[in-house]
Amino acid sequence: MSKALACARVRVLMEPFVDGDLEPDIAADVREHLATCAECRRQHEQAISLPFRLKALPNPAPRESFVHEVMGAIAPARAMDRKAWTLLAPEAVLAAFILWYLSGIDGLGSIASGIFNDLQGLAGGSVPSLPPVDVVLLIALIALTAIAGYHLSVLIRIAPGGLQARRHA
Amino acid sequence: MTLRRYAWPILIGALAALGIMLALADIAVGDRWPNPMAQVIIGAKPHARLPATQTLRFDRTRVGDRLIFESPISGFGPLNPYEAIRAFLANGAGLTLLALAGLIAFPRRARSAVERFESVPGAAISFGAGLVLVLLTLGVVTLLRFTLLFLAVVPLVVAVALVAALFGVGCIALAIGRLIHERLHLPDVHPLIAALVGALVVFDLAVIPYVGIVAFAAIAMAGLGLTVITRFGSAGGWSFVDLDW
Repeated sequence: MSKALACARVRVLMEPFVDGDLEPDIAADVREHLATCAECRRQHEQAISLPFRLKALPNPAPRESFVHEVMGAIAPARAMDRKAWTLLAPEAVLAAFILWYLSGIDGLGSIASGIFNDLQGLAGGSVPSLPPVDVVLLIALIALTAIAGYHLSVLIRIAPGGLQARRHA
Repeated sequence: MTLRRYAWPILIGALAALGIMLALADIAVGDRWPNPMAQVIIGAKPHARLPATQTLRFDRTRVGDRLIFESPISGFGPLNPYEAIRAFLANGAGLTLLALAGLIAFPRRARSAVERFESVPGAAISFGAGLVLVLLTLGVVTLLRFTLLFLAVVPLVVAVALVAALFGVGCIALAIGRLIHERLHLPDVHPLIAALVGALVVFDLAVIPYVGIVAFAAIAMAGLGLTVITRFGSAGGWSFVDLDW
């Protein structure tokens, strides 16, 4: 084949050649031409470069709902960040109420020592008598446990790079 | 160049010396008001002078009795460097060995947890989760106190919380060591040496008079929170997706 014709044909075949879509005998002809033609070789090197290949890719149009979906994904995360700190307020109130109800640290200490004594009694084979408890205290304890458990689940779901990273941004 | 080569041993020695000095200050302050709450970290105050003829099972040499000096500052208790070294060797070594044991036993999980801690909100989230977990544990333990069947579960709950906090403190020690390595441009070293330095920093913080107990409580809470939010350093972390079908 003459060089001028070959160059024109090779440039037409360059894309399927790079993609490996040519028949083996045609691909061999193209390879043979590239070995002798510097200009086509330069075009081939450009064609196989990654940026060129990426540019050659078509840009898919985003879905119509794309922006809405992104904004929707961001909004709950912000709400979750706020929730992560605002939940401390009811917990602090409940903890303060329970501490006040139990007469402070001394009350907590007596609970700890009571547990220890009862466990010793259980180990000794005697069934301990349970201390009388007010329903208000039980409700407060259950509320504190429930809110703290929910709070923990909120904190767990905050992804790394979510809170302060967005503030810095 | 030579100094840089010995940077890690020098750092470890300096942190150990600082820990002993702070423990010495803790002992000297004693139980004055406001109490430095040092007893929690370094143990009970040194035993009073006992008759020299009396033998103590764990202190046969009684060197501590001969190394008590008057404080140069009036109003403070005597200086007892031997007790300070004892406090460092017992508590510092205990803390360091437990921290390193967690890292040695679960290196992959420790890495996952440290990476989470080093991410931008990692420390804040860990501390917040630790604070919430303390409240949760207190609430649960107090509730269980008023039951008969679940009373026996209380030691298990406390033990799990303790193990979780220890694993977390080990991970935080490694994170501190990595931070020091990066900030001070120290030569590369085995990660356990970096973790050792981090554990010594934690101990030094814990024996600062008056604020030490608060600092240690904050680190322990952050450790507990870190362990729980990473599910003991699991690569997958927590997910509630499986509950939602």
